[in-house]
Amino acid sequence: MEFLHVEGFRKQFAGTEVLKDINFDLPKGKILAIIGPSGGGKTTLLRCLNFLETPDEGKVYLDGELLSDAKVSYSQKERREKQLKFGLVFQSFHLFPHLTAIENILLAPNLLAKDRVKEQFKERKKAAKGAARKTLKKEEKQALKKLSAENKRHAEELLNQVGLSEKRDSYPSQLSGGQQQRVAIARALALSPEVLCFDEPTSALDPELTGEVLKVIRALKGRTLIIVTHEMAFAREVADYVLFMTDGVIEERGAPDEVFLHPQKEKTKAFLKHMEEYHDE
Amino acid sequence: MTSFWNVTLALLEGFGSTCLIFAATLVFAIPLGLLVTFGSMSRFRPLRWLMRTIVWVVRGTPLMLQLIAIFYGPALLFGIDGFDRVPAVIVAFVINYACYFSEIYRAGIEGVPRGQAEAGQVLGLKKSQVFFHITLIQLIKRIVPPMSNEIITLVKDTSLARIISVTEIILVAQEYTRQGLIWPLFYTGVFYLLFVGVLTLLFRHTEKKLEYIKI
Ligand SMILES: Nc1ncnc2c1ncn2[C@@H]1O[C@H](COP(=O)(O)OP(=O)(O)OP(=O)(O)O)[C@@H](O)[C@H]1O
Ligand SMILES: [Mg+2]
Repeated sequence: MEFLHVEGFRKQFAGTEVLKDINFDLPKGKILAIIGPSGGGKTTLLRCLNFLETPDEGKVYLDGELLSDAKVSYSQKERREKQLKFGLVFQSFHLFPHLTAIENILLAPNLLAKDRVKEQFKERKKAAKGAARKTLKKEEKQALKKLSAENKRHAEELLNQVGLSEKRDSYPSQLSGGQQQRVAIARALALSPEVLCFDEPTSALDPELTGEVLKVIRALKGRTLIIVTHEMAFAREVADYVLFMTDGVIEERGAPDEVFLHPQKEKTKAFLKHMEEYHDE
Repeated sequence: MTSFWNVTLALLEGFGSTCLIFAATLVFAIPLGLLVTFGSMSRFRPLRWLMRTIVWVVRGTPLMLQLIAIFYGPALLFGIDGFDRVPAVIVAFVINYACYFSEIYRAGIEGVPRGQAEAGQVLGLKKSQVFFHITLIQLIKRIVPPMSNEIITLVKDTSLARIISVTEIILVAQEYTRQGLIWPLFYTGVFYLLFVGVLTLLFRHTEKKLEYIKI
């Protein structure tokens, strides 16, 4: 079993099967590209991995341990812990319009820090009385302050990493699509997910803006990534493994050169040919 | 001697009731409306149906009728003492406006793209955090214009309180009319206009404050 092991994912929407027994593995630090025609179930798969949908059946193992099982219902707290193992970058960014670039990145880490510190001090505060309680409250405040400062430093680092340090205080509406997506990537990275998923990260962008986003993703090599993309050249270049998904099944899988240069299945061949023609236009 | 000054003082006193009804309605109807919204959007079907039925009845009948029902209803139906006049007005207004507000909130919540909450969820936020840190401000931005409208309507609806003999400003002016003095009735318009003017400025200021959010 590899670092990420997905077993038997099934998902129906109103009686139509969108995922039909999806199984795959991904070693730590490797990049998986998922390609395939529209409606094949790629987005649904990522949404299931990120707990935005619950699959009807299926299990996810991470680092040798069972992370989630569709048959088990988790409490909000449990789900949150599991959710944090995964990150998702959306096709249409979904930045928070009322927050600046850095605030977008900081929102979740700061809320998480607050909850964790609170949790940490809860029992001790219950036991303490009077002056001791006051000291504890002070300690709690300081612990939170320290974490917030760390979060801020990390967020600034991430902004720098995606090349947007000077846009730190800009609102999403003041950024180009490419810049927005780069902030969204930084926002997802801020929580250091074990597996980061991208759902067609460049398909909402003007062609001249895709390059800057792909460059940022390319620089993430070494992390465990799942990238759904229509950019065939990019998939071939960065991926360690490729899945070709259509009609809710993984039709073909392998190393990029195998899938792209020597596809075995007719559907794969037809899809690649179609993409090539589309690209040539 | 019904001098201008005396009339002004009397009207001001009536206007006090007007303001009280206005303020109390807002203070209670704004949060109650949110509860009604949650109820009418609940996944628990009986609750959703109940809330939607209540909203339908309240929005589908005249406020004047509701006022009368709440003031006289308890005594007529059960032979018990109901509300005093002013509390009855406030209860009727709160229920009525909560229902109107709830529909504005609902449209506002449904207008915030689903991707916003999903982005928060993927980042590990709890449901309450998603609401208070992501949805709420975008919701407020969306509802300020329709809420402004509704609140300005409320200013003028307060005059319905005279139906059950609460001495708000119009009723005071009508007393003068009975004595053959017409102008105080028209003079009340100035009070309403000033009040609505101040509110309009306030709403405009709020909209400006929220202008940085582009949705
Ligand atoms: N919430 C939903 N309710 C009903 N049907 C859905 C829902 N989400 C997805 N589907 C259906 O599931 C199928 C797979 O959709 P999905 O978005 O996963 O495909 P995709 O491979 O990501 O396609 P694309 O390349 O166009 O993004 C589609 O037929 C879609 O209509
Ligand atoms: Mg998709």
